[in-house]
Amino acid sequence: MRIAVFLPELLRHLFKKPATVDYPFKKLEVPPGFRGTPFLHPELCIVCRACERDCPAEAIEISTLNEADKKFRMIIHNDRCIHCAQCVDSCPTTPKAMDIDRKFEISAFSRWDLKEQWDFVKAVIKPKAPAGTSSADSERPTS
Amino acid sequence: MKFTIPIGPQHPALKEPISLRMTLEGEVIRDADIRLGYNHRGLEKLAESKTYLQNIYLTERICGICSHSHSTCFVQAAEQLLEVEPPRRGVYLRYLVSELERVHSHLLWLGVAGHEAGFDSFFMYTWRDREVVMDILERISGNRVHYAINTLGGVRRDIDETQRRNILDSLGLLRARSEFYLKIGANEPTFVARLSGVGYLSKEQAVALCAVGPTARASDVSRDVRKDDPYGMYAEVPFEVCTAQSCDVLGRTVVRVKELMQSYNIIEFLLKNLPSGPVAVRSPRRAKPGEAVARYEAPRGENIHYLKSNGSDKPERLKVRAPTLGNYAATIEMLKSGFVADIPLIFAAIDPCICCAERLVTLVNARSGEESTIPMSRLRAMAQERFLKAPVQKDAVWPL
Amino acid sequence: MATLKTILYLLVYPGFIFLFVYSTLCEWFDRKVYARLQNRMGPTHTGRFGVLQPVADIVKLLAKEDVVPERADKTLFNALPVFGLAVVSTAMLLMPVWHFDPAVPSFTSFPGDIIVLLYILSLPTLILFLAGWTSTSFFSTIGGARVLTMMFGYEVPLFLSVLGPAIMAGSWRLAEIAHFFQHKPLLLLPNLLGFVIAVICLQAKLERTPFDIPHAETEIVGGTFTEYSGKKLALFRLMTDVEMVAGSGLLAAVFLGGFPGGLVLGLVWFVVKTLFIIFLLSLIRAMTSRIRIDQVVSFAWKYLAPLAVLQLFIVILLKGFVK
Repeated sequence: MRIAVFLPELLRHLFKKPATVDYPFKKLEVPPGFRGTPFLHPELCIVCRACERDCPAEAIEISTLNEADKKFRMIIHNDRCIHCAQCVDSCPTTPKAMDIDRKFEISAFSRWDLKEQWDFVKAVIKPKAPAGTSSADSERPTS
Repeated sequence: MKFTIPIGPQHPALKEPISLRMTLEGEVIRDADIRLGYNHRGLEKLAESKTYLQNIYLTERICGICSHSHSTCFVQAAEQLLEVEPPRRGVYLRYLVSELERVHSHLLWLGVAGHEAGFDSFFMYTWRDREVVMDILERISGNRVHYAINTLGGVRRDIDETQRRNILDSLGLLRARSEFYLKIGANEPTFVARLSGVGYLSKEQAVALCAVGPTARASDVSRDVRKDDPYGMYAEVPFEVCTAQSCDVLGRTVVRVKELMQSYNIIEFLLKNLPSGPVAVRSPRRAKPGEAVARYEAPRGENIHYLKSNGSDKPERLKVRAPTLGNYAATIEMLKSGFVADIPLIFAAIDPCICCAERLVTLVNARSGEESTIPMSRLRAMAQERFLKAPVQKDAVWPL
Repeated sequence: MATLKTILYLLVYPGFIFLFVYSTLCEWFDRKVYARLQNRMGPTHTGRFGVLQPVADIVKLLAKEDVVPERADKTLFNALPVFGLAVVSTAMLLMPVWHFDPAVPSFTSFPGDIIVLLYILSLPTLILFLAGWTSTSFFSTIGGARVLTMMFGYEVPLFLSVLGPAIMAGSWRLAEIAHFFQHKPLLLLPNLLGFVIAVICLQAKLERTPFDIPHAETEIVGGTFTEYSGKKLALFRLMTDVEMVAGSGLLAAVFLGGFPGGLVLGLVWFVVKTLFIIFLLSLIRAMTSRIRIDQVVSFAWKYLAPLAVLQLFIVILLKGFVK
């Protein structure tokens, strides 16, 4: 039991730079794998709706604009999104049509500003190599 | 002269709403009463309308600090029902994140204990060093809380050589800082005077009241799910169960710091013996009808998830028994014959995660002893009847 | 002319404006040092280096809604913050910084003014107790009881230790004590023990960690201040700030050799010495954790009071030898 056992540590820190980052004037770099906001590469999407089914927060909405022209619309509700990136994992195409970026400063004053929308034409699946299983089947439930 | 003082539901000492009503005589507590339910979110019911894959993310959000424990416990139960066995590398990575979460949770608790005792400098320093762990977790999993690294059949991400080396290097820094905090915690006279002798729980009481986690281990009850019922790869990992004999808050602090050091050893072992291979296997989406129980040693104690399936891709019933719920009975015992000034410390010493513990409560009629669960509609009707009949009261006291 | 000068003294220089500016500056200094000791930044963006942060806090409080509990004693509840601020501001008038001549006693500097100053500085404790009592809520009653219990602990060692240098200087007048030590600075060293005890007791009087039990945030919400809001809380905060300046001014005058050199140089010495004492107070605040009320009283009577008596013995022996 000694008195003032914390004192040398405290005094040393008087002369060090503070550990605080002066946000928002200075920002911290987020690492490469950071899960930010999801977005779509519309030219790669085959509208399998796996992302819509697997999203825990029902944040992805795919609707048909025109059946004959194969035009679809995807709306990502960023106010519902929980940034889990399950949509990216469920996406069966190579390269993946659903992607996630590293933006996290997405607050807005109204939830209607947080919806993102893409209108696109369904892509054609490129022919796969005959040997080896692809990741595009068997993931889909048979319901 | 006895009077009742309410701590909560809103109080600066509590991070989450809970109501503790203490009967005081001067500065000594004579009796305590805990009322729950302020944070009830209906998660167990919500889990019945989501698939197993979506439920991983739901259970993760039962708590922010022990998010991985709930997610992993659920995945352990779900993998039993889906009859899928994750590969070795996946298991190692999953429990690597578990141990990192234990480190971050114990460092957080040290800071909170310091803050409740008024030792704010200690609080600032431990949380600053906790940032090292948060950065590691962000690099591995993509987020600082809610790591979402579990999936049915393994983990979602792999770590590469640079990340592995990075974690091993940070461990050296964390070890040095944790030993410094042990030294401070054991030697700063004002801090020790606050912690020692406070919140006494004898060994017999700890066993009789079903205390779990560091609360029980500080009363010399050597219970740890990782040793008693090893899950994952814990049967192969060398570590010790940390206990203390002093049965008070100081003992719980010592147990947690010792567990920190054990976790560093486990993390080092896992990283040095990481097997190669895939990190996940393909898992079916539907489970055959059955039941599964999974136990997990969360930073706060033993976490139990019960899962029942009915053949579809959504569970029939999920029941969560979080560790803090098990510690509430022991808390009431500890609060009796303590001081008012010690209430925050005693309560913080069980490391309360109140939002973990908000599950369905049964109402017991005190006179007849019969149990009933009242649906919400009936409760609402009863409340409105009383409101319409009762006169306007000043100084209303809760009549329950 | 003399009336105009008095009004100027009361309002501007040793009066309200100077006190307001200087006490907020001291609060800024305390918060900045406390933060840097904890490896944080402290106030940074309001004004240059965050100097205006305490002013901003007080202005914000002045603009908030004022809620009075239903069962509280309205007159006393409303009057106490004003009375508290008045009392500590009066204490500042007795500081030997300005407007005194060591040879000629005056209104602000007379034999026995050290006793008057100590008495005036013990009034805020009673005011805080009354504030807690008239608020009639559980938390403030407990806070008020704790304030009084703590006073039983630290008042006696504080008085004893401050009297040590007074005995050595052979006078009960602050200006003369300061004058004595300015001419014989080496005699400050035997009073070091008394200085340490006085700093610890000042920390207890100001209710800062490790002695901030009366308004312990994590235990009894706000203690004596629970039911105060808006303008009254702003005045209470200003009262604690000015009390800090008055207390450290007293300690600087008695233990550190006063503020020589007339108007401008005296003010500079005042600033330097009080900031040094506030630095020591912040250091103690960062270094320790809060202790329980029974531990405060036992610590004060087991360690502080005997050491203060020991200090008095040393002073008396030395005086006998030096004579």
